[in-house]
Amino acid sequence: MAKDRLAQVLEDWEAVIGLEIHTEITSSNTKMFCGCPVGFGGEPNTRVCPVCLGLPGALPVPNEYAVEATVLAGLAIESTIARWSQFHRKNYFYPDMPKDYQISQYDLPFCDGGHLDVQVGEGDGAYETRICVTRIHLEEDTGKMVHVGGAEGRIAGATHSLVDFNRAGTPLMELVTEPDIRTPEEARRFAQKLRLIWLSLGISDCSMEEGSMRVDANVSIRRPGETELGTKAEIKNMNSFRALHDGLAHEIIRQAELVESGGHVVQETRHWDVGAKRTSSLRSKEEAHDYRYFPEPDMVPFQFSEEWIEAVRAKLPELPDAKKARFVEDLGLSGYDAAILSADISLSAFFDSAMSIGGAAKAKAIANIMLNDLAAYLNTEAISIDESRVTPAMLVELVELVDGGTISSKQAKVVFSEMAATGDSPGAIVEIKGMKQVSDTGAIEQAIDRVMTANPSEVEGYRGGKTTLLGFFVGQTMKEMRGQANPKLVNEVLLRKLG
Amino acid sequence: MSEFDVSRLTGAHIREGVVTGQFTAREVAEATLARVEALEPTVHAFNQVTPELALEAADAVDSSRAQAIADGLDPRDVLGALAGVPAGIKDNMNLVGTRTTCSAKILENYESVYDCTAVRRLLDAGAVPIGKCNMDEFAFGSSTENSAFGPTHNPWDLERVPGGSSGGSAACVSASMATISLGSDTGGSIRQPGALTGTVAVKPTYGRVSRYGCVAFGSSLDQIGPFARTVEDSAAALAAIAGADPMDATSAQQAVPNYVRAAAEGATGGAKGLRVGIVTDLLQADGCSGEVRAAVENAARIYADLGAEVGEVTLPASAHGLSAYYIIGPAEASSNLARFDGIRYGHRVEDPTDVLDLYMRSRAEGFGPESIRRIMLGTYALSAGYYEAYYGQAQKARTLIKQDFESAFKDFDVLLTPTSPTVAFKIGEKSADPLEMYLSDVYTIPVNLAGIPAISVPAGLCPSSGLPIGLQIMADYFAEETMFMAAAAFEAAIEFDARPPLRYESARGTRAAQEERR
Amino acid sequence: MAISEEQVRHVALLARLALTDEQVANLGDELNSILGHIDTIQNLDLEGVEPTAHPLETVNSIRSDVVKPCLSRELALKNAPDTDGTAFVIPQIVGPGGGDA
Repeated sequence: MAKDRLAQVLEDWEAVIGLEIHTEITSSNTKMFCGCPVGFGGEPNTRVCPVCLGLPGALPVPNEYAVEATVLAGLAIESTIARWSQFHRKNYFYPDMPKDYQISQYDLPFCDGGHLDVQVGEGDGAYETRICVTRIHLEEDTGKMVHVGGAEGRIAGATHSLVDFNRAGTPLMELVTEPDIRTPEEARRFAQKLRLIWLSLGISDCSMEEGSMRVDANVSIRRPGETELGTKAEIKNMNSFRALHDGLAHEIIRQAELVESGGHVVQETRHWDVGAKRTSSLRSKEEAHDYRYFPEPDMVPFQFSEEWIEAVRAKLPELPDAKKARFVEDLGLSGYDAAILSADISLSAFFDSAMSIGGAAKAKAIANIMLNDLAAYLNTEAISIDESRVTPAMLVELVELVDGGTISSKQAKVVFSEMAATGDSPGAIVEIKGMKQVSDTGAIEQAIDRVMTANPSEVEGYRGGKTTLLGFFVGQTMKEMRGQANPKLVNEVLLRKLG
Repeated sequence: MSEFDVSRLTGAHIREGVVTGQFTAREVAEATLARVEALEPTVHAFNQVTPELALEAADAVDSSRAQAIADGLDPRDVLGALAGVPAGIKDNMNLVGTRTTCSAKILENYESVYDCTAVRRLLDAGAVPIGKCNMDEFAFGSSTENSAFGPTHNPWDLERVPGGSSGGSAACVSASMATISLGSDTGGSIRQPGALTGTVAVKPTYGRVSRYGCVAFGSSLDQIGPFARTVEDSAAALAAIAGADPMDATSAQQAVPNYVRAAAEGATGGAKGLRVGIVTDLLQADGCSGEVRAAVENAARIYADLGAEVGEVTLPASAHGLSAYYIIGPAEASSNLARFDGIRYGHRVEDPTDVLDLYMRSRAEGFGPESIRRIMLGTYALSAGYYEAYYGQAQKARTLIKQDFESAFKDFDVLLTPTSPTVAFKIGEKSADPLEMYLSDVYTIPVNLAGIPAISVPAGLCPSSGLPIGLQIMADYFAEETMFMAAAAFEAAIEFDARPPLRYESARGTRAAQEERR
Repeated sequence: MAISEEQVRHVALLARLALTDEQVANLGDELNSILGHIDTIQNLDLEGVEPTAHPLETVNSIRSDVVKPCLSRELALKNAPDTDGTAFVIPQIVGPGGGDA
C-alpha cells in the first residue's frame, strides 16, 4: 500500500537521505572513559563509577580498545585514518547525560570519508550504488530513562522519570553518510551491509532491538533534476530495518503531500511511531542548538603513526564482499547461495569451518544441506545456528556417508533430523538405526525377482509399453529391502531385468 | 607532653619527633586540634574540621611505629615522609568521610564517595587530615570572600583577606592550624594566598600532580600543590603527591626527582652559578605597589650576593595573559560546572515543574554571583559566532606566552616577579568590582597558561603595613628541583621567621569571650 | 563586542540559569566591563600562530581495556536529591530537549 504510494511519489519527487548510524562497541570490556563493564540491562545504576556518573572531580581516560575498534571500522569502509585527532566536548543539558556535556569528536574525527557499494533489488531491476561516508567518530553513550505515569513508558504524559546510568559511557561510534541515498530500500540495504561489516569485525553485536545499533535519518525531497537541497527533517526511533524502510517511506510521502498541498517542511526532529505507522514531531519547543564544542581539556590529542595504522589494518578480517566472491570463484557456489551464506556471520563461519574439515570438493553439498535442511530446521526451532546441536564436522560426515554410497540422499534427510535432534554423529545414527544402504547386486536381484514373481500382471503391463510402472517396481523393491537398497542400483537392475 | 607549640614545629621536625619517639603523632594532632578550636572562630580557615579522621590517622602512624619496633625495624624506614604531619585540604578535593563543598551552596551537603589521588597520596605518606579548607566558591576568586560559607580572615590582620581561592589552605598553615595543606591553582590560587599569608606556596608543572578527584575549574590550567611554612616542607609534600596517575590522562609520566634533597642543597649551597632573570616588564606594570617592587628588587640583590648570575628579561606576551585567562578559564569552567544540575547530587529546587525548571532554578539558587558571572562569560565566549574571536584567539595568545617562557628559559634557570602586585587588601575592598579583583592575579596567570612550575616564598614584611610580601620564582617545565633549590637558597638568606600576630592564648580568650556572649 | 540584554538571556538559557531581571541587567554591565578589557585580545595579530589547547605536548594518553570495580549502588545514589533506591528520580521532561547521541 505505502509501497505503491511511495513509487507514485518518487515519480514526481526525488528523496535525499543521509544516515547517522550509532553503534555501541559492545565487544569492549569496559566503557569509553572508565573501567566499568559494558553490558546490556542489569540492575539500574550497578555498573557505574565516579567517572561515568560525572561525580565532581572525576576525569575520563580513553579506552585503547575502543579507539582501535573505531579505526578498524574506518579501514573496513576505506576511510582515511586521521594522523592527528582529538576529542571535543559537546555541551548540552539532558538528564541522561551525567556531565551535561558529551565527550565526542568535532573537526578531527578518527575516520574521514569512506564508502560502501550497495546492491539494491533483485533480478532485472537490480542495481549497485555507491554511498559515500562522511566520517566515523567515537563518543560516549548516554544513560537510559524510564518514563513513569504516561502511556507505554513514553515521555508524553509521564509524571516523572527514573534515570539509570549503566549504559552511560559505553563506547559509541557514529557514522555519518553523505546525502547519497535516494530510496528507503537503498537506506535499508546500506544499513544491513554496514551491520554485516561491523559484525565481521567483531566490534559490536549490532542489535537494533536492544539499541546497540541505532539508525537515524535526515530526509528531504526535491524535484528531479534540482541540485539545491530541500529542508530536511531528522527521523529517529526506527528500531529495525523494516522500521527504517517504513519510517523513511512514510516521511517521504508526508513531505510530498505537505508540499503539494501548499505547506512547507519544517526543520525538526521526528519520531517514527511503528504502531501508528507515522512520524510525529518529537519536541514541543525546539531550541536552536548551540553545542559550544571545544577541545576536551581532560585529554591529550591522538597521533597515529603509519606503522600503527598498518598494524590495525593487518587485523582486518575477510569482509562480506570478498567472502561472497571467494564462495563463488574458489568454491563454485552459485551467486545466490554465496550471497545468502556470506550475508550471515554465523552461517559463513559455519560453512568455512566445514570447508576446512571436509575440503572444497564438498562445498556444494555442504551448502545445499545448510541452505535447505539446516535452514528449515533452524527456522522451525526458531534458534540460531550457534544454538543448534549440528556441528560443521557432522555435516561433513553426513556428506561423506552419501558420497561414499553408505546412505542415500533420502536417508541423509532422516539422519540429519536425527542428528539435529540428538546431537549424535551421523555415523552413529546410521549404525544404531541399521540404515546402511545395500549395494550388494545379488541381494537386490533376489529382491527384484521376488517382486516380479509376486506381480506378474504389472510385469506384463510394463513389457507391453506401460513404462511408468517402473516407479511401482522401485517402490516395491525398496519396501522389500526395508528402504536400505541403493536406489541407483535398484534402478539399473530393474531396467535390465524388465527390459 | 600534652601541649607544645606546634607553630614552631615544621613538618620535618614533626616526622623526626614521631620517628624518634620524642612525641607521638596523636600528641601533635591533639595540640593542633586544640589550636584549631581556639583560632578557627576568628580565622575561619575550615569548612569542616575532621578530628575523628585526624586522630585515626595519627593513631595509625603511632601504631605502625610500634609495629616497626616490634618487628625489629627502624621506624625511619617504615614511616611515611609526612608521618604525623597535620594537613589541611582544600574543600574542592574529595576525601571519603568528608563533605566536599567547594564552598558552594549547590554542594553544601555533598559527601565524597571516593578519594582524590593527591589527598590519598598525602595521607598514605602519613599526613594527618585536620579539615577541609575554605575557598572561593568553585575556586573563582582571589580573596576567599566568594565562599558561600563566609570569608576566611588573614591571620596577619583579621580585617584583611588571605587571598584566594585557596585562602583557607593558606590561612590554616599561616596560623599553624595545620603544618602543611593542599590547594589548587588555576590562575594563582595557591601562590597569591601564599604571598598574602607569608607562607610557601607551590604551583607544580601542569600534569606533575594528578587532578583526579579535585573538582575541576579550568581543566587545562588547574594544578594541585602544597602550602607549608618552609621550602623543605613544601618539597616533601609535593614529592608525596606528585607522579603519574592512571586516572588522569593529563598527568605526566616523568619520574619524580628528590625535591627534598634539592631544597637542602639550595639551603646549604646557596645559588652559586644560578642564572636568575628578573622580569622587568611585569615588575614595572601599573598596579604594582612600590614596596612590593622594592622587595623583588631586593631579592635580586640577595641572589647576586649568593653568587647567582642575575639578568633582566621580558615576557611581552604576558600582557595578554589576563585576557586569555579570562576567556579560557571561564570557558572550561562553564562546561565543568554544567554537571551541577540537581539531577544526581547537589542542590535541587523545591517542587520543580519539569526538568528545565529544575535545571534553571536549582543552578540559579545554588551558584553564587561570581560562579554565575564566570559561567555566563565562558558560555558566551564559546557560543556560536564568538568562538574564534574569543576562545580561538585566546589559545593563540597562549602559544605566544608559552614561547616567551621557552625563550627566557634558554638564558635563565629561574625567573623572578612579585607573586601579587599588592599585599593583603581589606575584606570588601575589591569585591564590588570583579575586574579589579581579577587584576590580583596578573603575575601568576601567565604561569598557568604556559603550564610551568612556580613557587611563592615570603620576601619579607612590607615596611608600611607589616604584611607579608611574596616573591614568585618560576622555573622551566618539570624543573621543580631548580625551583626548590633557588627558593631554599633565598629562604635561608633572608631568614624570614615572622609569624602572624595571632596570640594563641589571647585567641583562646577571644573564643571564651565569644562563647560567653552566646 | 558589547553584549545585549537579549544575548544575556540567551546565554543564561544555554547555561541553564534562571536569572531575575535585575541579575540580567547587572550581568550585562559586568560582562561588558570584563569584555571591554578582554577584547584587546582581538586586536592581536595572531595570523599563523598555532593554538595551544594544552600546556604539555604529550599525545596518546590511553588506558587498556581492563574492568575495574564499580561503585556500590548505595554510594552511587548517596547524594541523590530524589531516588527510589534503584535510580535517580527526576520530574517530567518537557521543553527544550538535548542533543542526539
